[in-house]
Amino acid sequence: MARDPMELMQGTLDVLILRTLAWGTMHGYAVSRWIRERTGGTIDIEDAPLYKALHRLEGGGYVEAEWGLSENNRRARYYRLTPAGRRQLTHEEAAWRRYAEAVFRVLEPAT
Amino acid sequence: MKRFISFPWRSSERIAREVDEELAYHLEARANALLATGLSSHEARRQAEREFGDVAATRDYLNRLDRKTNATRHRRDYLGDLRQDVRYAFRTLRRSPGFALTAVVTLALGIGANVAIFTIVNAVLLRPLPFPRPETLYKVWSHNAKDGMPQAGVSAVDLDDFRAQRRVLEELGGFWYASGGSGIDLVGRGEPQRLSAVFTTAGFYGALGVRPEVGRVPREDELVRGGRDRVVMLTYDFWMREFGGDRRIVGQSVTLGAEPYEVLGVLPRGLAFPARDVDVFVPYSTIPDGSIPRLRMVRNLDVVARARPGVGMRQVQAELNAIAARLSREYPENAAWGATRVKPLREAITGDVRTGLLVLLGAVAFVLLIACVNVASLLLARASVRGREIAVRLSLGAVGGRLVRQLMTESLVLAGLGGAAGVLLAVAGVRALRTLGAQQWPLGADASIDGAVLAFAFGVTIATGLLFGIVPALRSSRSDLQRDLRAGGRGVAGDRAMGLRNSLVVAEVALAMILVVGGGVMTRSFLELLAVDPGFRSDHAVVFNYTLSTERHSDYVPVYTGILDRVRAIPGVEAAASIKDAPLRGVGEIAGFRLPGMTIPAGQEGPTAAILHVSDGIFRTLGTPIKAGREFLPTDRGDAPLVLVVNEAFERRWFPGERALGKTVIAGGRVRAEIVGVVGDIRQRSMAEEAVPTMYIHVPQNGRVRMNLVVRTRGEPLAMVPLVREAIRSVDRQQAIGSVFTLDDARHDAVARPRLLMVLMAGFGVLGLSLGALGLYGVLAYLVNLRQREIGVRLALGADRRRVLRMVVGQGVQLAGVGVVLGLAGSLALGRLLAGVLYGVDPADPILLALVALTMLAVAFASSWFPARRAASVDPAVTLRED
Repeated sequence: MARDPMELMQGTLDVLILRTLAWGTMHGYAVSRWIRERTGGTIDIEDAPLYKALHRLEGGGYVEAEWGLSENNRRARYYRLTPAGRRQLTHEEAAWRRYAEAVFRVLEPAT
Repeated sequence: MKRFISFPWRSSERIAREVDEELAYHLEARANALLATGLSSHEARRQAEREFGDVAATRDYLNRLDRKTNATRHRRDYLGDLRQDVRYAFRTLRRSPGFALTAVVTLALGIGANVAIFTIVNAVLLRPLPFPRPETLYKVWSHNAKDGMPQAGVSAVDLDDFRAQRRVLEELGGFWYASGGSGIDLVGRGEPQRLSAVFTTAGFYGALGVRPEVGRVPREDELVRGGRDRVVMLTYDFWMREFGGDRRIVGQSVTLGAEPYEVLGVLPRGLAFPARDVDVFVPYSTIPDGSIPRLRMVRNLDVVARARPGVGMRQVQAELNAIAARLSREYPENAAWGATRVKPLREAITGDVRTGLLVLLGAVAFVLLIACVNVASLLLARASVRGREIAVRLSLGAVGGRLVRQLMTESLVLAGLGGAAGVLLAVAGVRALRTLGAQQWPLGADASIDGAVLAFAFGVTIATGLLFGIVPALRSSRSDLQRDLRAGGRGVAGDRAMGLRNSLVVAEVALAMILVVGGGVMTRSFLELLAVDPGFRSDHAVVFNYTLSTERHSDYVPVYTGILDRVRAIPGVEAAASIKDAPLRGVGEIAGFRLPGMTIPAGQEGPTAAILHVSDGIFRTLGTPIKAGREFLPTDRGDAPLVLVVNEAFERRWFPGERALGKTVIAGGRVRAEIVGVVGDIRQRSMAEEAVPTMYIHVPQNGRVRMNLVVRTRGEPLAMVPLVREAIRSVDRQQAIGSVFTLDDARHDAVARPRLLMVLMAGFGVLGLSLGALGLYGVLAYLVNLRQREIGVRLALGADRRRVLRMVVGQGVQLAGVGVVLGLAGSLALGRLLAGVLYGVDPADPILLALVALTMLAVAFASSWFPARRAASVDPAVTLRED
């Protein structure tokens, strides 16, 4: 592929993660499943970039991580949206909507 | 979902472990989910990994990323904590303004005093001298152990030999300067002026390495007899004052005395060497033998020497000693002068103030220590009261180390505030010290708060904060949670806490005691000095300094008597007479003499005494008692037989147990002179130094042209100045008049340095005592507060109120007693240091020590009294109901 898929994915992945975590605190595996289910397999996401994005968001202060006990009583790393993360989500969502609308306006046949 | 406690910072091992665990969890969870769809465990695992992507690369990436995040957060948290701590500290301090104000003022006084004194020390003792490579400069004296003259001047003749034979010395040169004594008249530019002059020999400029501001310094051939030596260097200040800083003056000619001198250049600005008030530097070669004879026994020069690179003081001393020893073998008049004394130039300049300054620096250090102890004890008291707050914070999960940091931040904020206020105090203090003491400390006029001083202030502030903060902080963080929570807000004094506080009080009293002894000893020394009878009456007397011109008058005696007659005729003048050196301003000349029948072994020097040339009526004018015989009369003329008046010191030294009156002295080798009078001793050098054996000679019989005309007036002496000036000018229009001062001024100046030292030491003593008393009061008041309940119980059980009073006061005085004992020991040690700056006082004077000890105990008693009264007035019913 001519273009690097990572580059392409990065911003998208971030906003998807933030959106997912907006529903509630979850560990990485749950985030991964949630996104896969919501996209219905349309977008094929690897888990590696997902974790990278999660830790990057943690470094940026958008999410914070904490160890907790999972459904099956195992130690898992839980991620939670911070107030900064919530603000970032609102911001990115708006940007995405504008972007998508613009693209649709071009793609829709002129009436 | 349960939570584990999360820690803000993680080690790299922990990061690696957690990354592994997180990824393992993911893969396992996915594999388990796939198992449920019917895959084999192996296939499920493979599938999970495939969906994941590159596990190893991701693991590395996450490790790196987390470590970076961790470091950033660490730094941010630290700064955030600091900011939070500082904000918290300010908030706490604002909440207890009384405490904060007391602490800051205490610290400001301590730090301010230190910074102010250090500013002076920095200017006088630490800043480099204004010469290149100042560490290779030395001052040199001739040394005569036999006659008790360890640091005499160097004779110009000897100096030539020193210069000719030098090897490890790069250069050495001499100068003759006497404040108010060495001068030259500037004429032909309006009113004649008496300039303050330094007379320099060859080698002087070379040794010091002076770079002129304008023009050039004299060459070797311009500083010796027979050379082109009618040249003059101007000091910067004089150049500005007289010539407005005009560079064109270089190369021009000015008239000094009666001869033209070429202005060669201007010395650099701020070169206050050898004194600040010098106007011109003139070659020593221009002084005729008639004024200062070129004899080996005329040792009048100050000598500065510069060592070659890599040559130490020991080698310099060895070389000069060797030359002096050779000269002493060669010349009989040098027989007892076979050695020299050498000191680094800075030490020579600041030598006699060094001890005083170091004592002051020690005193302010003590003041600061007391301030530290005070604030530490305040903090301890607060820590106990805040015990509950701290216990709550600890129980809520505050980490001990974090708490120490927070308490230390509070201390450093306090210290910082104190330091800032202290520097402001120091600015004012330095200004006052400069006004009071610029003349008293060489180089002291340059004292200013510079980078070095600010660095010192900063260091002292931080050290202070750490010093008074660390112990309370450590104690608090280790406080017993349960006990403090149970005790409610009142706080508890554990035995150890109390012991610590008691030792602080003891230390404080001991330090304050040493300071007060220092101040007391200094004050007594100063009073002793004031009580000294200088041998003359200083009131209603004004002195005019001038030198008669031998160029304008072939016979100066008529001018000399003319001035005396005119001045004496002024209404309001009670008496007038002249003396070569005014009292407290110099001892005249040193000359050899012999008594009849005294044989001086060949190659040895005979006895010497000071010679002072005076006019008739001088002793009556000075108010000096005539013990026997008479003073000089106008009839003791040049053509009459030579007669002498001597002082009592001379009589005691050379005619022990006998009367000097009527005895004969052989002066100048063969002239016999009869002693016609014995007068009281006049302190000529300083108030602290006893009169030296002195012979007085009548000016018309042995001419000298330098005069200090003492005028005794009926009214205000300075009011007579214009009339006297006019009388002098009416005899010689061109006569320049040097300094004019009253004898009261001379006396005042003579004790200015001891006065300054006394004022400062006494001030620091009072400051130390007040801070100490405050500290003692604080601790006892706090103690009473803590024991209120116990006291209430005692009173309820029928204890006598007086006993309670006694108990509290007793405790205070007991603590002070231990402090006083320690203070006594310290004072004795201090006494040895002080000995060098004291006059007529034993620093270990038992009466003084006892007085100070009593004062300390009395202050301790007073400090304990108020808290004790409060304790005794406790209402048992109220205290007992409190819980």
